[in-house]
Amino acid sequence: MIASVFINAFRFIPDHASLLFHKGVGTVELAFAALGLAVALALPLGLWLGHKHRGLFLALALSNFGRALPSIVLIGFAILIFRFSLFGDCLVALVVIAIPPILTNSFFAVDGVDPDVVEAARGMGMKEAQILVRIELPLGLPLIVAGLRIAAVFVIATATIAGIVGGGGLGDIIANTPAYGDAGVLGASYCVAALALVTAGALSLLQRAAFRRMSPTT
Amino acid sequence: MSGLFLAKGGPVIPSFGKPDPCIKHQHWFCTSWVQKHWGDILQPALIQHIELSLLAVGIGFGIAFVMALIGFRFRVLDAPLGAFGDFLYALPSLSLFVILLPITGLTWTTIEIPLVAYTLFILYRNTISGLKAVPAEVLESARGMGLTRMQTFLRVELRLAVPTIIAGLRIATVSTISIGTIAAFLVADGLGKPIFDALEAPDIFKTELVAASALVVGLALVADGLLLLLQRALTPWGRIR
Amino acid sequence: MVRKHTRRAAKAAFAISFGVALLIGVIATASAGAAKATTKPTIVLGTKNFTEEYILGQLYGQALHAKGFKVVYKGSFGSSELADTAIRSGKMNFYPEYTGIIALDLAQTPSSHETFPKTATATYNYAKKYEEKHHLTLLNRTPFVDADTITMLRATATEDGVKTISDIKKLGSFNYAGYPECQTRITCYAGLQSIYKLDNLQFTSLSSISVYTLLDQHSIDGGDGFTTDPQQKSKKYTTLVDNKHIFGWENVAPVLSKKLLKGSNGTLLETTCNKVSKLLTVGAMRAMDKAAYAQEGTPKQIAHAFLKANHLVK
Repeated sequence: MIASVFINAFRFIPDHASLLFHKGVGTVELAFAALGLAVALALPLGLWLGHKHRGLFLALALSNFGRALPSIVLIGFAILIFRFSLFGDCLVALVVIAIPPILTNSFFAVDGVDPDVVEAARGMGMKEAQILVRIELPLGLPLIVAGLRIAAVFVIATATIAGIVGGGGLGDIIANTPAYGDAGVLGASYCVAALALVTAGALSLLQRAAFRRMSPTT
Repeated sequence: MSGLFLAKGGPVIPSFGKPDPCIKHQHWFCTSWVQKHWGDILQPALIQHIELSLLAVGIGFGIAFVMALIGFRFRVLDAPLGAFGDFLYALPSLSLFVILLPITGLTWTTIEIPLVAYTLFILYRNTISGLKAVPAEVLESARGMGLTRMQTFLRVELRLAVPTIIAGLRIATVSTISIGTIAAFLVADGLGKPIFDALEAPDIFKTELVAASALVVGLALVADGLLLLLQRALTPWGRIR
Repeated sequence: MVRKHTRRAAKAAFAISFGVALLIGVIATASAGAAKATTKPTIVLGTKNFTEEYILGQLYGQALHAKGFKVVYKGSFGSSELADTAIRSGKMNFYPEYTGIIALDLAQTPSSHETFPKTATATYNYAKKYEEKHHLTLLNRTPFVDADTITMLRATATEDGVKTISDIKKLGSFNYAGYPECQTRITCYAGLQSIYKLDNLQFTSLSSISVYTLLDQHSIDGGDGFTTDPQQKSKKYTTLVDNKHIFGWENVAPVLSKKLLKGSNGTLLETTCNKVSKLLTVGAMRAMDKAAYAQEGTPKQIAHAFLKANHLVK
């Protein structure tokens, strides 16, 4: 009986391919929009703070606090405060979820760069912005991408919560056992996991490429 | 307020009481409502949430610790566990609760299994990496001082791994407290219940949402703080920096 | 000598037999009395997990308790389908249900819309037939009906010029939100698709947020509000006319195990419940739902106040 649910879940996927695709697009739109916004907001801030070696407390506190905020609470407040469309409200909540790992990791990525290298660059007359972009950013890239990977998995998995408030995506299926059955819920869950793992995998490759770029051949 | 009113030969409809002003005016935080319902809604939910979280972290830590010892000694568990852990974290927490429901029913087991699973992986990783991070020279000198394998492990490796282990405990605890709210989607216990009740009201009930959310975050921060103090107590050498 | 002993022995024997007989008599009466008292069945009462059901459960439960029945409240069920499974498997033996849901969604007896029951009575009879197949039955139904609707903001409905559900065909697209079970129910979204033949319809499944919240934010076009919701009285909202009657006749009737109706206790149970049901008019139910929403009391307190005012409890 339990095994049959697992098997039926695998059957559900090809049987309902177009539904899952349609819903999957919804999840992707929500998650990637949130990640994009979060990167745009958190990455520059984290890099800059890391460069200045300021705001360690902020970075740590934010990461702690972010982990403590339940996603459902964020969505609730977004609906109350922002009153955008459902998609917009859920987007806001997911951006808030994505910011801490990106901010914290980009902070530590830059903050942790060998100070001697930075000093040498300063000695050569490089401006602060140049140091950040040409020295610290490439050296910190692996850690930055790692943070992005964490945020991506987290956001894609959490985007499904939107389904309980009608936010669309694969969460619609997962929160709706009556209409899709246990097999459907499990099948949709596999799809979410696959989506998250593929994204994480792609970013992992990116991370390794970044590692290779900063190896001593440059 | 209308008193009794008779619907033409129909039932008598009494007046039921005073409408709660908090619902009427929808303030962000009515102290009166919180005071009134602390005992019957908020405090029981808080206590349940503490119990749920302690259970999950306790059981998770127990299993993780044993597994880490095995994994550290035999080094075979790493790869498969790592892969399974990645898959677990990629699954939405909601999925885990919904899938378990037909198997374990509307019980705390349904809540605990996913929460324990999550804490398990964080704690396993952290415990093992803490143990592995002990520098070889330290082990050498311990051996040189004549300590046996067991003594080395207990007195050196384990103690040096404590900060990493507690760091893992902190993350696991905070995550558990946060994710535990989702369980109320199915099993109406813990601080998730007032949160969902507030969300489902015809106009989202602000005060209840704010109060319950504050309790969740507060609980998480307090737990985190306590564990940090524990770490400082256990590793007095760490402060000399 | 022997005669004296014999006489004393006879007296003793008589006394003992008399005592034993008395004892047996007392025990017999006591146990008969006790047996009579314990033949009142225990009512394991369940409800679905929303306010109106909680109130209904308390109304029936408290009225029965006042008549000497033992009532155990057995948790809340997330849907009619789950409640139906529970009562059929014996996890509970009494719960209030909506007749239309039994007849059209649980029973799924009428296969085509043309044979759907067209009146409240016909719906009730269909429902009763279904339950009786499973050793269950229905008591009398309430006057009030609590059906699904398509609720819209009055302003939007006027703007779009829609008055009946069929009018939705005129619109480009229509986003209708409701609870998850609505999607597959012929008395809800499935009916809107297959009977009204609305192909411009989209369904948004809501588990944890109210349609009224989303309507207020203009996030959806229409929502599945219920006819006894306190919000229905507000001028802000309006409902579209269900010209094809897919939303069914949703009176409430207690579903219970046939065993509970046996004997004199069964009759008492039946008359008590019917007395309660008779009082539940639309006005009464709406008033109680409103009181619960405004947190004028808990469902238990509200039910108690209502029963007390109508002399069914002290």
